[in-house]
Amino acid sequence: MEDPTGNNPSDAPPPDSPPEKRFASLSLPPDFEIQEDDDDDEGYLTAVSRGGSITSATAAWKDDLEDADVAPPSPSSSGYAGERGTSLASSAAANDDPEPQPDDDWPRDKKHLHEDDTSASWRKRKKHFFILSNSGKPIYSRYGDEHKLAGFSATLQAIISFVENSGDHIKFVRAAKHQIVFLVKGPIYLVCISCTEESYEGLRGQLELMYGQMLLILTKSVNRCFEKNPKFDMAPLLGGTDAVFLSLIHAFSWNPATFLHAYTCLPLAQSTRQAASAVLQDIADSGVLFALLMCEHKVISLVGAQKAILHPDDIFLLSNFILSSESFRTSESFSPICLPRYNSMAFLYAYVHFFDENTYLTLLTARSDAFYDLKDSRSRIQNVLLKANVLVEVQRSLRESALRIEDLPADPSSQSVSPPPQFSQDVHSQLLSSEMAIGGPAGLWHFIYKSIYLDQYVSSEFPLIISNPKQQKRLYKAYQKLYASMHDKATGPHKTQFRRDEDYVLFCWITQDFELYAAFNPLADKSQAIKVCNRVCQWIRDLENEIFVYGESTLSW
Amino acid sequence: MNQYVNKKFSNQYKATIGADFLTKEVQFEDRLFTLQIWDTAGQERFQSLGVAFYRGADCCVLVYDVNSMKSFDNLNNWREEFLIQASPSDPDNFPFVLLGNKVDVDDGNSRVVSEKKAKAWCASKGNIPYFETSAKDGTNVEEAFQCIVKNALKNEPEEELYVPDTVDVVGGNRAQRSSGCC
Repeated sequence: MEDPTGNNPSDAPPPDSPPEKRFASLSLPPDFEIQEDDDDDEGYLTAVSRGGSITSATAAWKDDLEDADVAPPSPSSSGYAGERGTSLASSAAANDDPEPQPDDDWPRDKKHLHEDDTSASWRKRKKHFFILSNSGKPIYSRYGDEHKLAGFSATLQAIISFVENSGDHIKFVRAAKHQIVFLVKGPIYLVCISCTEESYEGLRGQLELMYGQMLLILTKSVNRCFEKNPKFDMAPLLGGTDAVFLSLIHAFSWNPATFLHAYTCLPLAQSTRQAASAVLQDIADSGVLFALLMCEHKVISLVGAQKAILHPDDIFLLSNFILSSESFRTSESFSPICLPRYNSMAFLYAYVHFFDENTYLTLLTARSDAFYDLKDSRSRIQNVLLKANVLVEVQRSLRESALRIEDLPADPSSQSVSPPPQFSQDVHSQLLSSEMAIGGPAGLWHFIYKSIYLDQYVSSEFPLIISNPKQQKRLYKAYQKLYASMHDKATGPHKTQFRRDEDYVLFCWITQDFELYAAFNPLADKSQAIKVCNRVCQWIRDLENEIFVYGESTLSW
Repeated sequence: MNQYVNKKFSNQYKATIGADFLTKEVQFEDRLFTLQIWDTAGQERFQSLGVAFYRGADCCVLVYDVNSMKSFDNLNNWREEFLIQASPSDPDNFPFVLLGNKVDVDDGNSRVVSEKKAKAWCASKGNIPYFETSAKDGTNVEEAFQCIVKNALKNEPEEELYVPDTVDVVGGNRAQRSSGCC
């Protein structure tokens, strides 16, 4: 069994070296003070050790941002940046500068253990997360040493207890710019204190995922410990899992799966994916409940035993757990885990093996003695994947298959006037210079498309104008707000929303089959925008065999 | 409490609003513990914190003023109130500690509760440890808290191994996916 501890404190650089090193390319002064800019994502602990296998600067830059899907388009990979319309000439030129060098040594332990509730820096943090027991004992805090926050935990418990005593439940407290959101799960209390202007529903959803992550590590059996002994100190049970929670909190600001409750797939040719699915199906004999082949947080193939359905949140929490725990990368592992949406009371066992830097196989079983069987299954799977060239295709897809707004096919009705898009780059850029002058077709910058039936989503690559992580985070926050308002229980659900502010035009369209979230240039024309959204939907339908996993096949077990 | 945690004492009377919370790290028998000290208000109007508020307490420290008979007489009520609210599994053996505070006042000349009387009360409640303290000059504060830690730990249950069940697939234990919350 592998210890999920991914974070060896002795290896960690001093916690007070500035984490913004990774933004070196934005030429921040060397003495840049983190507290001043405290970006709510600041406590993120990089999920992975990147070893020495990264060869191209492009890959490294993407890696540094955690994920190819949200990484900025890499100018050197497509050569595209230089071909933008003239209005972007200067920024395109700026991109000829050397690629920013990723800093593998940026602080991995960013919990700021020296802080507590009396520190000015602690109080200035934009987003706190706390887990505590219903007797006020601290279990987890995003910032600072839990022990030193015992008094603060007690205060939170007192507030919850005070309201409960009058037969009520506290949902949130608003105090000027701050929102304090509470989530009570039996003997476990979860609290978020935030001044990020996120919605109550959004923050509550994040607390639900925090709880789910905790269950994934421990199961709901912890409740029994509290029934037996209300004084139970749960913090030691979560020992070594800081990296998992920090990576989860980081995901709240970059991974749409956290609010869409859907997963995303790695685009692959249908035949390639079928080869992978076929061999996963083939391992029915080894008592596998679920078999998942993933590349970072994207699903390549997914197979479940009869009637067993994997919830997208479970996929997300499982992949976050695996990707943030370094030990999974170093050797094949067998670890007890709980899928909270599948069965929150009990453990399954996860066999995990990384085929390369980012592609890994997870086999889930209820048999605690299945390690050697699953090891054999893995080796059979590996042979087939190699023979069918799947792993190579996966790497190629990672580099090349992102959905780019620029590739959006032209409106069929206007094809007589605009040439078809599949052209040499020269022609392509001429065409674009008119259409792209305000960002993309009709000013389209970015979109997320969620298939309701499949529980899957795809999102386009970020354009240059949203290329830095801060801008991307802001857009995701805008999407989250849009999501919350569309799904508002009191006033919704709604079918469409068109919202213009100084940053974007946001358009959301929900039908029985899909949800589309799109961001446009703030000057975009409404009717044009709607036309473009129709084109996006058509485009997704044209590509669906490559960008979605279909027919989630079942094992006969 | 402030004397113990911050080595400070404020002469200014300040009513506790509901409760105050402080933490203190203490070393006891080569182990480091974090004490979470909840100072609940004495005034009745603050008695609304309720059942959950006392949940999971490891030790209850009762403090009275040796210069006030009323504060001593109230100890019975406080003790009973705590046992009702916290409902510990073994109320007879729940660790209490009694502190007779303000022994410094007027060099003890205004004292109305004798040490003997206090100790007799402690004996009648199952030998509650007793300390005479001064929050102002720090007399006995450290000793009292060492005793509190010792008593709290005495009741600590044996650590059990945490072994949750494994999913029983054959027994039809499959939870169907629910689309309810969030």
